[in-house]
Amino acid sequence: MRRRPTRYYVVKALEWGTLAFVGGFTMFPIVWMVMTAFKPVELIYHLNVLFWPTLDNFREVFSVRWAVGAKVLHSLVIALGTVVIAIPIAVCAAYAFSRKQFRLKRAMFQWILLTQFIPGVAIVLPFYLMFRNLGLLDTYTALIIVDLAIVLPYAIWTIKGFIDAIPEETEEAATIDGAGLAGLLWHIIVPMARPGILTAAIFCFILTWNEFLFALILTRTRVVPLSVGIMSFRLERGDLWELIAATGILIAIPMFFLAMMIQRHFIKGMTAGAIR
Amino acid sequence: MAGTQDRRHVFILLAPAMLVVGLTTLYPLGFSFWTSFHDWRLIKSLMPGAYIGWENYVAAFTDDPVFWTVLRVTLRFVLVDVVATILAALGLALLLMRAGFTRSLLRTLIILPFAVSPALIGISWRFMFNPEYGAIHHTISTFLPFMAKTDWFASPVLATYALVSADLWHWAPYFAFMLMGGLASVPAETQEAARIDGASDIRIFFSITLPQMAPVLTVAVILKTVFALKVFDSIVTMTGGGPGLETSTLAFFAYNTGFRDYDMGYAAAIAYVLTIILFALSFVYMRFIMPARR
Repeated sequence: MRRRPTRYYVVKALEWGTLAFVGGFTMFPIVWMVMTAFKPVELIYHLNVLFWPTLDNFREVFSVRWAVGAKVLHSLVIALGTVVIAIPIAVCAAYAFSRKQFRLKRAMFQWILLTQFIPGVAIVLPFYLMFRNLGLLDTYTALIIVDLAIVLPYAIWTIKGFIDAIPEETEEAATIDGAGLAGLLWHIIVPMARPGILTAAIFCFILTWNEFLFALILTRTRVVPLSVGIMSFRLERGDLWELIAATGILIAIPMFFLAMMIQRHFIKGMTAGAIR
Repeated sequence: MAGTQDRRHVFILLAPAMLVVGLTTLYPLGFSFWTSFHDWRLIKSLMPGAYIGWENYVAAFTDDPVFWTVLRVTLRFVLVDVVATILAALGLALLLMRAGFTRSLLRTLIILPFAVSPALIGISWRFMFNPEYGAIHHTISTFLPFMAKTDWFASPVLATYALVSADLWHWAPYFAFMLMGGLASVPAETQEAARIDGASDIRIFFSITLPQMAPVLTVAVILKTVFALKVFDSIVTMTGGGPGLETSTLAFFAYNTGFRDYDMGYAAAIAYVLTIILFALSFVYMRFIMPARR
């Protein structure tokens, strides 16, 4: 048998080394956060990797003092509320953009894409002033309205992509059978675009759940979500890392499951705004 | 056929979306624009003050050294961030393109960082870069012993790197997938032909693959520049804009002006400078992804 040249083994070793580095770099921060969350407090400032895991940190964050349970609820209400409002609106708009011809269609669609480019500060500043005058600061209503701004363009774009892929004949058949617009949407489009709608819903849920800037400015105490609530562990006398890590787990792990659920579509959704 | 009915349908279908998009983007943009021409300091008065024309803008460019520092800091952060993230994404894309169990596992794993909130990434990085008990800091100083005493967040350049590494961790996978799409569309025949002619892999990459990926790479660079300019969460949770102002980018500065100094007029003007930069980029971007109809 012919011996492979040394160069082959060097290249292979480099390749595997790089793959290992990518895996390590990707997973290390996550693994470290998980470990910190389960570490006993006295070991937080040591770099031990061997320890008896404890649930103390989780017990502490859910205690009355930190009330992280309430913040989980706030995050859920805000994210679900935003998604429940955004998705039906997006389905209708996506259908129109996919199937209908009308004036200003191109301009409207471009504007929807453009909104991703608006800096959050420029949006939240007027809303802060408006909600303060209306007495709506620190309410779900305020946060959900503003979060719709980030979520709706993604939802419309993603769902439109899936509706584009449905053959038009299906609808023509249904129209001949006498289905109206509502019937068409509900009985044909929604079932056939279900993977797209689900993808959009999950993607938007993740975006809202992780949203920070708007929540930082528009909430005070009553509806503070987890993403901002985690800052309350940073005290004058220092940061309580074990509690930050435990809360971090609560923020990140559910999103991992959601992202994995829509893995294949997630990648498409991620790049949707970027590629035709 | 059913022209009027169709028009009514379009209206019904689009009205809610347009209402929401209008309310959540056009209205605030208009209001911010208006505010940027007024003197409105919330400490002095809850109501907007006098119309002062371009004064907020003029003050920023001619009278505020902090603004110039912020511009410099923004430029540095965006440059380092875009170059590092796109290079990492390109490397990832080339590395993970091929089939195989390990690669497909890694393609799945690298989705995870994208699902983590940038605010949380920022706060974890702060923990892991701590010079006393930070895990990343310790790993780095094992390989580079001279780093052992370094306080990352006390040095402008190192704080920028720490911030960039967090942003890269979050965004490189996204751009890697985008570039994999671009790589997949590079025809294999040309590469094969070059290989038969005796071209090395490196030569093939630089003379064939890379030029053919130019359009996707351009889109990626524009988009990443936009996202870099919008970075905010991790700055708040990791560096707080410091040391000094050395990681205070435009977005962070606009926020501070509005919600720490309560100078709404000035904050709106800063936010608008940022908005205009972003819109300029977006027009270039639109040119690329939506060429005018033939």
